[in-house]
Amino acid sequence: MEAIKAKNIYFSYNTKDVIKNVSFSLEQEEFLGIIGPNGAGKSTILRILCGILRPKTGDIFIFNKDINDIDKKTLAQKIAFVPQETHFALNFPVKDIVLMGRFPYLRAFQREGRKDLEATKHALAYAQVVEFRKRPINSLSSGERQRVVLARALAQEPEILILDEPTSHLDLHHQYAIMELLKKLNTEGMSIIIVNHDLNLASLYCQRLVLMHKGCIFSKGTPQSLINEKTLNDVYKTEVKIIKHPYKNVPQIFFHPKGE
Amino acid sequence: MNKFVPVILIFLLAIFVSIMVGPAQLTSEIIQLRLSRVILGIFAGGILAFCGGVLQGLFGNPLVEPYTLGSASGAALGGSIGILLFGTISPLFAFFGSLGVGFFVFTVARIEGGLLRDRLILAGVVMSFLCSSLVMIIMVMGGRELYEILYLLMGYLGIIINAENRLFIILMIVLSAVLMLFLYRYHRELDIISQGLETAAGLGIDIQKFSVIIFLITSLLIGLTVSLVGAIGFVGLVIPHISKLLFGPKHLYNLPASFILGATFLLLADTVSRIITVYELPVGVVTSLIGVPFFIYLYRK
Repeated sequence: MEAIKAKNIYFSYNTKDVIKNVSFSLEQEEFLGIIGPNGAGKSTILRILCGILRPKTGDIFIFNKDINDIDKKTLAQKIAFVPQETHFALNFPVKDIVLMGRFPYLRAFQREGRKDLEATKHALAYAQVVEFRKRPINSLSSGERQRVVLARALAQEPEILILDEPTSHLDLHHQYAIMELLKKLNTEGMSIIIVNHDLNLASLYCQRLVLMHKGCIFSKGTPQSLINEKTLNDVYKTEVKIIKHPYKNVPQIFFHPKGE
Repeated sequence: MNKFVPVILIFLLAIFVSIMVGPAQLTSEIIQLRLSRVILGIFAGGILAFCGGVLQGLFGNPLVEPYTLGSASGAALGGSIGILLFGTISPLFAFFGSLGVGFFVFTVARIEGGLLRDRLILAGVVMSFLCSSLVMIIMVMGGRELYEILYLLMGYLGIIINAENRLFIILMIVLSAVLMLFLYRYHRELDIISQGLETAAGLGIDIQKFSVIIFLITSLLIGLTVSLVGAIGFVGLVIPHISKLLFGPKHLYNLPASFILGATFLLLADTVSRIITVYELPVGVVTSLIGVPFFIYLYRK
């Protein structure tokens, strides 16, 4: 059984088609990366998969169940979404933000119970933000804030985690920390989809890649089979040099400055 | 939340002050008169601040209040039409004015599609201007009713509760309490929505449905309020901010606090409006006179 199965998805903003006939699936316990140039439709397809946007046509199945037949709160118990950047209009303390991840499990006026507090505590520890738990969110750096958002997603206790460029504004250390954390979650059974602009990170951490181009799927496959100089030149219009990672059998990409 | 203790004490003090202080001698008639002002003051101040807090939460915009969404102006327009036709404020007109403009704003925003809440604010502000112009035309046409419309526009707590309207006013208050409780159910949604619509949708909130519910119910509440006491400005804008400064961002706490603070503020403003000049000022004049400097002071701090 696939965790997510998307069949013939079309989507358009106003009249412009941004997703054209996209089909793919996420296996259970898989770590899948979606890559592609700016405007390829990566972020849009992520939002469709977690029910934030509705496709114009096409079907989405979450654990074999049509997404339209799943109640929104129930869906949020299965899938958690980490947006690229979150703007915090109200300056909540970190632990309150993470506790909001329990929303899908709570009815109106129901107080958070022991299970909710435990899940929150666990998520804080997992995302390594325990030390910040009492601090107002806007006093944190962007790397720390991103980990808090990840903690909130973990408090949802989802089976599938969907992340939109979680490392895009982070420095080397925080990029590494987030990717390692995702890898750990994945080995413990979480199915993960990540959109990532950093092809080297995607190649290093994802088991399978989906390359999108102009709203369509250009190709799918393992990093070894998908990342090659010809494909990247076709899609990104950029000449690159590819060599094997020193410790792992995956391709890594290098720019080639002109005239050198 | 032990911060509620001093806030409630000040609230009780405000009730006491607004009954005791005034130019006239304290007779049982005067007390009765002032008691009905107190009831209306709590009702109006509380609702305006509560709705302001809910709307600011929903739209994630600190400038939103019943006025910026057009429903208060719509209620004033409806009320003015009622005054022109029947010579007196008719709650039904104010109520339908609020709901009508609210609904119109909503439809405009919906047709445009896309992100609902940015467009709602824009449509609301534009409709507010239109309503103000229409009220001006009615004022010019009315002549004799000009004074009454002016009080409707600026707010006035001086309706006397008597045997005739008692049942009606009690009904309005009960209905408002039920509607506010219904809004209060969504305190957690309002916390979450402050982190953006995508986050909220990702956590299982049906944004479209949620916005419609909040918008319609606040319109209803504003209509009820304006029909009784006129369009009192500034309470719905300033009080929720003060409430958040004192009680933090959690709507579970700052919404009830907004209600109490709004009621307190309006009672005190009404007391001032009765003693500051020989003629009684519309209470809305006083709310802005006190509210603006206080607001600037708090924000500079």
